[in-house]
Amino acid sequence: MAEEKKMAGFVCTGCGIGERLDAGQLETTATRDGKMNTCVQHDMLCSKEGVQVIRDTIDNDGATHVMIAACSRRAKVEAFNFPEVAMTRANLREGVIWVRPDTDENKETTQEMADDYIRMACAEAKFSTKPSKSGEQELNKTIMVVGGGITGMTAAMEAAAAGYPVQLIEKSGALGGRIAEYYKVLPTRSPYATPQESSIAEMAAAIEADDKITVHLNSTLAQTSGAPGRFSVDVATESGSTSNFTCGAIAQATGFTPFDANKLPEFGYDKSADVVTNHELEALAKAANGGPIKRPSDGKEITSVAFVQNAGQCSDEENKLAYFSGVTDLVSIKQAMYFKELNGDCDTTILFNNLRTPGAAGEDFYRAGQEAMVLFSKGIVSEVVPGDSLTVKFKDMILNEDAEMDCDLVVLAVGMEPNSGPDPYYATEGAGAPQEGEELTDEEKEERAAAANEVSVDSILNLDYRQGTDLPQLKYGFNDSHFICFPYETRRTGIYAAGPVRRPMDIQQARDDAAGATMKAIQAAENAGKGMAAHPRAGDLSYPSFRKEGCTQCKRCTVECPFGAINEDEKRYPLFNEARCRRCGTCMGACPVRVISFENYSIDTVGQQIKNVEIPEEWDEKPRILVLACENDAYPALDQAAMNGVEINPWARVIPVRCLGSVSLSWITDSLNNGYDGIVLMGCQRGEDYQCHFVRGSAMAAERMSKVGDTLQTLNLEPERVVVHEVAITDIERAPKLINDMAETIEKIGMSPFKF
Amino acid sequence: MTEVIATNETILVVGGGISGMTAALEAAETGKKVVLVEKRPYIGGRVTQLYKYFPKLCHPTCGLEINQRRAKMNPNLTIITMAEVTDIKGEAGNYTATAKIAPRYINDNCTGCGDCGKAVEAEFDDEYNYGMGKRKGAYLPHRMAMPQQYVIDPAIIGTDDAQKAKDACKVNAVDLDMQEETIEFNAGAVVWATGWQPYDANKIQPYGYDRFENVITSVEFERLADPTGPTGGKILRPSDGKEVKNVAFIQCAGSRDKNHLLHCSRICCMASLKQCTYPADDVDISVYYIDIRAIDRFEDFYQKVKAQDNVNFIKSKVASIVKGDDDSPVLHGVDTEGYNRYANQHDLVVLAVGMEPSVDKESFPVDIVINEEGFIEPASENGGIFAAGCSSDALDVNRAAQHATGAALRAVQVINRVAGTEG
Amino acid sequence: MSTNSQKYRNSFLKEVEANVEEGEWVKMCMQCGVCAGSCPLGKHWDHPPQEIFMMIRAGKREEVLTSDSMWMCTSCYNCIARCPRGLPITHIMHGLATYAKRLGLAPKNQPTQGFSQLFWDNLMKKGRVNELKMGLSMYFKDGFAQGVKNAMANQKLGQNMMKAKRMNAMEIMGGHGVKSPGDLAKIIKKAQEIEDGKIQDFS
Repeated sequence: MAEEKKMAGFVCTGCGIGERLDAGQLETTATRDGKMNTCVQHDMLCSKEGVQVIRDTIDNDGATHVMIAACSRRAKVEAFNFPEVAMTRANLREGVIWVRPDTDENKETTQEMADDYIRMACAEAKFSTKPSKSGEQELNKTIMVVGGGITGMTAAMEAAAAGYPVQLIEKSGALGGRIAEYYKVLPTRSPYATPQESSIAEMAAAIEADDKITVHLNSTLAQTSGAPGRFSVDVATESGSTSNFTCGAIAQATGFTPFDANKLPEFGYDKSADVVTNHELEALAKAANGGPIKRPSDGKEITSVAFVQNAGQCSDEENKLAYFSGVTDLVSIKQAMYFKELNGDCDTTILFNNLRTPGAAGEDFYRAGQEAMVLFSKGIVSEVVPGDSLTVKFKDMILNEDAEMDCDLVVLAVGMEPNSGPDPYYATEGAGAPQEGEELTDEEKEERAAAANEVSVDSILNLDYRQGTDLPQLKYGFNDSHFICFPYETRRTGIYAAGPVRRPMDIQQARDDAAGATMKAIQAAENAGKGMAAHPRAGDLSYPSFRKEGCTQCKRCTVECPFGAINEDEKRYPLFNEARCRRCGTCMGACPVRVISFENYSIDTVGQQIKNVEIPEEWDEKPRILVLACENDAYPALDQAAMNGVEINPWARVIPVRCLGSVSLSWITDSLNNGYDGIVLMGCQRGEDYQCHFVRGSAMAAERMSKVGDTLQTLNLEPERVVVHEVAITDIERAPKLINDMAETIEKIGMSPFKF
Repeated sequence: MTEVIATNETILVVGGGISGMTAALEAAETGKKVVLVEKRPYIGGRVTQLYKYFPKLCHPTCGLEINQRRAKMNPNLTIITMAEVTDIKGEAGNYTATAKIAPRYINDNCTGCGDCGKAVEAEFDDEYNYGMGKRKGAYLPHRMAMPQQYVIDPAIIGTDDAQKAKDACKVNAVDLDMQEETIEFNAGAVVWATGWQPYDANKIQPYGYDRFENVITSVEFERLADPTGPTGGKILRPSDGKEVKNVAFIQCAGSRDKNHLLHCSRICCMASLKQCTYPADDVDISVYYIDIRAIDRFEDFYQKVKAQDNVNFIKSKVASIVKGDDDSPVLHGVDTEGYNRYANQHDLVVLAVGMEPSVDKESFPVDIVINEEGFIEPASENGGIFAAGCSSDALDVNRAAQHATGAALRAVQVINRVAGTEG
Repeated sequence: MSTNSQKYRNSFLKEVEANVEEGEWVKMCMQCGVCAGSCPLGKHWDHPPQEIFMMIRAGKREEVLTSDSMWMCTSCYNCIARCPRGLPITHIMHGLATYAKRLGLAPKNQPTQGFSQLFWDNLMKKGRVNELKMGLSMYFKDGFAQGVKNAMANQKLGQNMMKAKRMNAMEIMGGHGVKSPGDLAKIIKKAQEIEDGKIQDFS
């Protein structure tokens, strides 16, 4: 920016900082080394008066860059909120005085620590600019809903009710989805006792009448391009016509497909017409048209039914579903009640293992089933023998004996399989990923990816993203979020899955889920319009900019971006899509030529902090340890350690990073060249239950660091000098220990020879 | 005096646990003004007291950190702690809420430095650790408490201790004259997210929670396993501090029971399975259950725990507990799979207590449809008041957050209607 | 013998529901087993209540009705107090026993059954229980020699009861009774007729 920088430093002397440290010296350090134009002390900077001092400096003296040396950047956030300037914080409280013993012999090293943190914060400020909108953003309030079943219909209606226009895409010729084929549905209001009519017809009529909702029947998505706020969608109809519209965000509610019971030969599905799936039973009940349900084989009125729970579910066998489809026990109870309603005296027996009818509604409905004389037996079915009368063989777990029963009809409670598109990461992280210890060549990887595409289903969204056409999958094909606290933390910004494509669920849950996903879609559209990042860095205005001149088109940024935010332009340069970006900095960490940066987080903002730490001469025997700590887990763990008074080695200099994935190798090599004696990287847990909100940040850092060995070798340095740790936010004792361990290591192997 | 700037376009969120926080943040991040009222001195609710989440075994404080950062950064969100909504009048788009704010005796000057806590001598049972441990009369409820402000226990007001706290504070944050206040403000829509409480184990007479030290609740077990808890994360017996070598989990302790909670609390099966992973491999674990209700992908986790060599599942509702040797509880009952009578002695027994709605059916400050179990029904009669999370049903964290996000939308719909007619 | 067409079907469950006191509760059991564990005499049962309920669902009619398990119930009500589904288990047990006896399926030498019969017969004579005769008939039910042995063994008990005025030696002469035993007999007869009328035929 051409604007002149005016740098103002502020040193707080409250909370014991003034007593423990020489504030005058800190001030001098800020102006002399940190090149602050001004620097003032205040005895309680977070107080109204203190904040006013800063405010006045900005308003009256035109400060553009503010360095606040006080407590941790996690504390007093509301007080130190100056969005109109570039601001940095030097952590003198949790980072220095709380982790060092208050003794005379430690005074010198504690002051050195504090001085360094001042230098670092000043350097960071100097190389930061205030984040501001890129100008790329657009506000487009239209929400596209993909799928016209109950989830999609609900999403459309909820969005419209909030005042947002909707484009609703349905593959078939009518709205309603699977529920339209159902005789009745589970009750949604207390008392949870009787199956009720579905509201599909009224909903369809309401959608028809709503001028905010445009329905596309017999339609699929030929292409979806752009980003939140400016998605451009090509719709193809069955008749071959195409149309185009734009939208701000997307909810995907493509539902599920019932498990194929042909894969269950032991239950005689392929041998007898009187063995049906729970989905087929809905059709039989509907066809009964208020009269008794008839046997498919001979049209005889059914007098006895057995329900086989978990048919092909909760299984460790290949070709079966490993998971439980959430509602199938409730569904069987509901269907057993159909027989009580329509077939009078019909016997209905539910053979289950664990009866899973959770919550208040679930348990109520279980009891209602028992009241209706549905017979429940903890029995594990091994075989259904076809015949005029079907024989069900099972183990009665209570009576502890092999048992069998005869009945007219067998209903298999099969599970749900999600209607998701191909997984972009099938061959790298998904089911096709290399197993532990398996090393694949690039060719093999590509082969596998190609094979996956062949066996895989059709794309649903047809995203023109560099990283695949559809939402990434979590497991078993479901497009669920990986995070427990954040069920809508999507890996494709602005696109939210809802209903059984996300996770097996019943209608009520699907409708609630539709509301949740719609909320997120609306939010994504609104924030895209403001140039603000989506969760977890919600509201962040910084965005990655890139220097084209330096780019070598290595494509690492496009490949490694966890959110598929970066495409390639026609000249094969990376094409950033700000509104898809989550501001993690993985691209920055990936770029070998350092051309990617954010206004307030860049190669320089961190690199200059590293360079501005004073490296004492080798004979001073004061090593320096660089700690790069993930701001979400490791840094808060260190803060909490400080609150507990856990000591941290005085040689450590901690820099919070957005994600370990954003760590540039250049920071590491520069540190080593500058004479740092050890480097500790602290990221989140990686692997299957990864904790990184930017998916693979921690894993990528580990991979990249494994290659640091070469650098170390060229410099003739010991490999122990660089370590990567997985640190959880609860590692309050462990995190400081890892730093202290590095100090011990250095004591053993000696100081770095690269001190200048 | 606490000032709240709110209009008919403001969303009031009652309760600042995971559901309330989620609803408030999602609405605020969509550009809506939100006032969040929380009874405790901090937001985060019960999840702050959990050691890990199932099935990932990750730490709740990780998500809390993100949510708190979101809250700190968002200018649309006003948080009032130590406050209870006592009345809501009006209709969708035009409510007037009354809230009672208890005195914290600490003002916003507080930097969380801890000097007052050091100065005060009186100690009290630490509610954060369910009474298993002590806290000072001036205290930060837990290390990540937001707001990061101390609280002075009303019990020390008027004592020397209170004066000591005041004298120790260098930033003038202690205000011993603070009084309870009642405030009134407008809201267009309300998200009701008052959550749940663990069922009172004392009421389950045959299990002797009130008589046997080594019978504890599942929520207490979380604190025992947590490194920041009263035992530093070591699972020790309350009676003698000995390491636990044999632990039993009793499922449906208060749930699915006409004599206690009629409903299935949904989370307890998974919570106990999770807790099966806390002790070391050489600790014998028995799970006494009626049905293991592992829903959807949780099945994976169930299978994983089942495969643990040290875990044994017994299909049985335990009939009673008596005291055995060495204060060890002895469980009596019948394994219903094949009728085996048992009298099993364990070092420690954990009651997987059910989820009871926090607000008693009779004490809702607003007219709202509540079902037999005490949960708020998704009823259109509720107007602009929407339940979120465990005030609507027994839900796990993920489902609660999901439900709360949907509730936020329903509140936003009301606000947008108001804005449409007003603007 | 039940055939496959009766197994895990409603036939026996319906019979129990119709003909057994509180039998309509049987379907509500969720097999938690707290009744089995709570029963103080539990270890003497072949089949605890929850298992009997499962056997009823499984259609094991004969096995259930000829079982001596439900005769073991001493009406302590622990099971009822603890049953999470509120099943009146004590009553169901007595109901099942009564029904089995009515059908003549109750185990012949089941002592509780024998005692119950003696008690009933004794009661029906005068409308009040004659403790002395009741005791003697119990002692001598297995013959004279055994009766003397029993009486000797329980001598102390008898003496204490007499001291406490709970038993009177003069009762042997006839003993006390209701004012109008004939009316009682009529009442009982009528009650039995009503009950018989309710019993549905499932054979």
